Amino acid sequence: MASSDGQGNGGRAGATPDRLPAPFPSLAARLVGGGRTGTLVGLALLAIGASWVLYQVLQNGLGDTGNVPNFLIITLNALSLAGLFFLAASGLTLIFGLMKVVNMAHGSLYLLGGYVAWALTTAGVNWWLAVAVATLSAGVVGLLMEQAFLRWNLGQDLRQALITIAVSVILADQMLNYFGGTAQTITPPGELGASIGLGVYGLAYPTFRIFVIGAAVVVGGLLWLWIQRTRFGMIIRAGIDDGPMTSALGVNVPVVFAAAFFVGSCLAGLGGVFGGTVLALAPGQDISFLTSSIVVVIIGGMGSLGGTAVGALLLAFVEAYSQVYLPSGYAPYSMVVTFILVAAVLALKPTGLFGRAS
Amino acid sequence: MAEPIIRLRNLSKSFAGVHAVQSVDLEVAPGERRAVLGPNGAGKTTLFNLIAGAELPSGGSVELFGRDVTYLPAWRRTRLGLARTFQTSRVLAGLSVEDNLYLAALGAVGGHLRLVRNGRDRELRERARRTAERVALADRLGAPARDLSHGEQRQLEVGLAVAAEPRLMLLDEPAAGLSRAERQLLTQLLLSFERSLTLVIIEHDMDVALTVAERVTIMHYGKIVVEGTPAEIRADQRVHDIYLGRTNAA
Amino acid sequence: MIGSYLLARRAVLVAAAIAVALLPVLFSTYVTSAIALPTLWVGLCAASLTFLASYGGMVSLAQTGLFGVAGLLTATLSVEAGLDPWLAALIGVLAATGVGLLFGALASSSTGTYFLMITLALAEISYYLFSAVPAFGLHEGINGVFPPRVLGDPVLHPTTIYYFILALCAAVYLFLRYLVRTPFGIALQGVRDDPLRMTALGYNVRMHRTIAFAIGAAIAGVAGVLSAWTNTRISADSISLNVTISVLEAAVIGGLFRLEGAWVGAFALTILSIYGPAFSDRYATGIGAIFLAIVLLSPGGLVGLAAAVDGRLRGLLASRAVPDAMGPSPSPPAAGG
Repeated sequence: MASSDGQGNGGRAGATPDRLPAPFPSLAARLVGGGRTGTLVGLALLAIGASWVLYQVLQNGLGDTGNVPNFLIITLNALSLAGLFFLAASGLTLIFGLMKVVNMAHGSLYLLGGYVAWALTTAGVNWWLAVAVATLSAGVVGLLMEQAFLRWNLGQDLRQALITIAVSVILADQMLNYFGGTAQTITPPGELGASIGLGVYGLAYPTFRIFVIGAAVVVGGLLWLWIQRTRFGMIIRAGIDDGPMTSALGVNVPVVFAAAFFVGSCLAGLGGVFGGTVLALAPGQDISFLTSSIVVVIIGGMGSLGGTAVGALLLAFVEAYSQVYLPSGYAPYSMVVTFILVAAVLALKPTGLFGRAS
Repeated sequence: MAEPIIRLRNLSKSFAGVHAVQSVDLEVAPGERRAVLGPNGAGKTTLFNLIAGAELPSGGSVELFGRDVTYLPAWRRTRLGLARTFQTSRVLAGLSVEDNLYLAALGAVGGHLRLVRNGRDRELRERARRTAERVALADRLGAPARDLSHGEQRQLEVGLAVAAEPRLMLLDEPAAGLSRAERQLLTQLLLSFERSLTLVIIEHDMDVALTVAERVTIMHYGKIVVEGTPAEIRADQRVHDIYLGRTNAA
Repeated sequence: MIGSYLLARRAVLVAAAIAVALLPVLFSTYVTSAIALPTLWVGLCAASLTFLASYGGMVSLAQTGLFGVAGLLTATLSVEAGLDPWLAALIGVLAATGVGLLFGALASSSTGTYFLMITLALAEISYYLFSAVPAFGLHEGINGVFPPRVLGDPVLHPTTIYYFILALCAAVYLFLRYLVRTPFGIALQGVRDDPLRMTALGYNVRMHRTIAFAIGAAIAGVAGVLSAWTNTRISADSISLNVTISVLEAAVIGGLFRLEGAWVGAFALTILSIYGPAFSDRYATGIGAIFLAIVLLSPGGLVGLAAAVDGRLRGLLASRAVPDAMGPSPSPPAAGG
């Protein structure tokens, strides 16, 4: 039951000493490397899910009275949810990939960003300005945490995780104090507040959700360029593979770490603003988004930007579709499908779809 | 000739396009003392990892004790009678020397999930203490492994392989970082092993390697370059090229 | 000097033991039911975490999820289905152990913070599942979950159930102390120190981790049953991540690397959460700050701190006892505690 089947787990029990992993390996290489059986089982599961959804969608034809219009809306919901997940999780994976720190206060920074934007827009501040301030304040709080507590405990993964848990407890209580226990929603700016027509089936869709999808793509692209094309990104990639070596080459590692932590925390805050506009802000959302982000990186693989994108898409689509397309009466069990997704990834490829032995 | 203890056929392993081990064929006979030599990066440790099951090969097959074990998990190979040491000591830092050796002895015989101590454990503890004497750690039995000096950790590393009483032992640079006296102690220990044990040793220290080994395999860039007796190896021009020519054999 | 210190030290320990042994007699019913009972079951759950962390190297955030499985099943089966409470509890604990095996098998290939994350994800998914499925009745909570009649009323007459739970905690403590000296337990510590080495020594590391995790799950399950019994109810709030974090706080504040620390931490946490609100609405911030301070300054928790102070004091007093000592110079670190 628990025994390793030797399939695709060869290098997992411990990192092999002389392995040279590519920082962002290609999908094909990773899947093949992960064992053919695992890939086949995974693809089979996906195919079963997809054909069930397709059957549900198409069983009443393609017309206006069929299920296709609803399907399009749900798909867009899933995409915007994936955008939110990606924004939240990319910060987490950036910080982990570089520093091996699991920032358990990531959800708190998400909520903090949302609340700051809510407070500012409620006070009449321009939405775009509020977004900028909220993003930066989450970044600053994250940076302060890193500078005050984490910097001294480099390499002590568990202690750092416990520190961030303690900070998240404090932040949650303070936010409850300042922003209250009732759910709040940020009003999007006028230009994004309406809906736009989709041009098919006479459907319209909230502009802001489309904007979230676009923002996630833009942020993902910028992060990719930052990591792949700049000197700073090169240091980050080197840091992922060999911290002491990077340090020996004269790179100011503490500054790089601080910058990565700041950017990662900013991303959490930005996610919070969007989440607070699309969904709501309330105590407990910090935990909810921390969990989602963690599930995304477990699926996609820690420290991989591409993996985070795929993980966010998979999680969002599974959550959105399973709430609608499970057989009637089973909707409350939609979490079972999420569980199967996580369990399948852990069983078939414990380091995540794009991950590697750590 | 008897059935070989190790038989590798066309064994290959590559990491991200780098061929660490390339089409290696190797046979080691029962009771043999074999040294695997070669410059750093020649693929010796990867070869050990493939034999021991710490890594899966990209191609080819591994047979141990006449049985195909290519995809057998590492822990099952140990149960067949294989023991190995690591290039950098991997001792169980939080446990005492005796517990380390006891676990090595227990690992090879099974009963890992037992929730009661019994007569078996007395035997295994006795074996652990005997092993400690053989690797000169008898006076350190109660010390946590993390408190041992580098040399003592190397001794314990070898002890972990000895305590398992294996049929086949793979030693990865057991003399690394040892003083001259410690090296002599190690050489004597290796020479004291009975013939029922087959020994494969990676070693940079020629004194240790060529004193112990009867046959030598030279690896370079993941391939086996030459194989022969220590005398043949000493005389071989290719070996001189590898060691004295293009690469440094630190 | 040193003699009188050791005497005082022994007196304190004996007094504490007497207080624990005679608690229902010495203190009010309120103290027994509102402080002692939560201390015991939170401590038990924290002990399952401490066991996994200190001997298995697995810091699990799934303990309250497993605790919830047992508590929820016990409550549902005894209240809704009218099952005998003992039988319901047994089924609950067995179910928690089964789920523990599944979670353990899924998480067993990971270590360190990755293990922490996976267990968090698994526990949270279970939490959302339990909350969403109406059949579990967690949304409103299940009320009237009473312990077996023989244990008495946990609120009005908590004496019997106090001794029952105390005995259970003592049994679990002794069992775990015994377990870590068995072949299984020593090998588990080997797995904690170096999984790759243990694989090379012939151990099925994943199997070992999985079974240890299931043992932890069974203990957490017992704590879940006790929680439902002593609170006479269970709801979504009883198994949320906040409870997970409370249990983690108890384990860390007490000392994550000593089993007895679990109950010390649980006691500290219970006192703080009962008397904290009287001082400030923001007592949760205070608990978070204490948690943070312990992690930063005393990784051994309160028990570790006490042991260090004890050692320091003994060293100091012992050096004074020597006639020609060089005055009150810093003492060498004393051995043992």
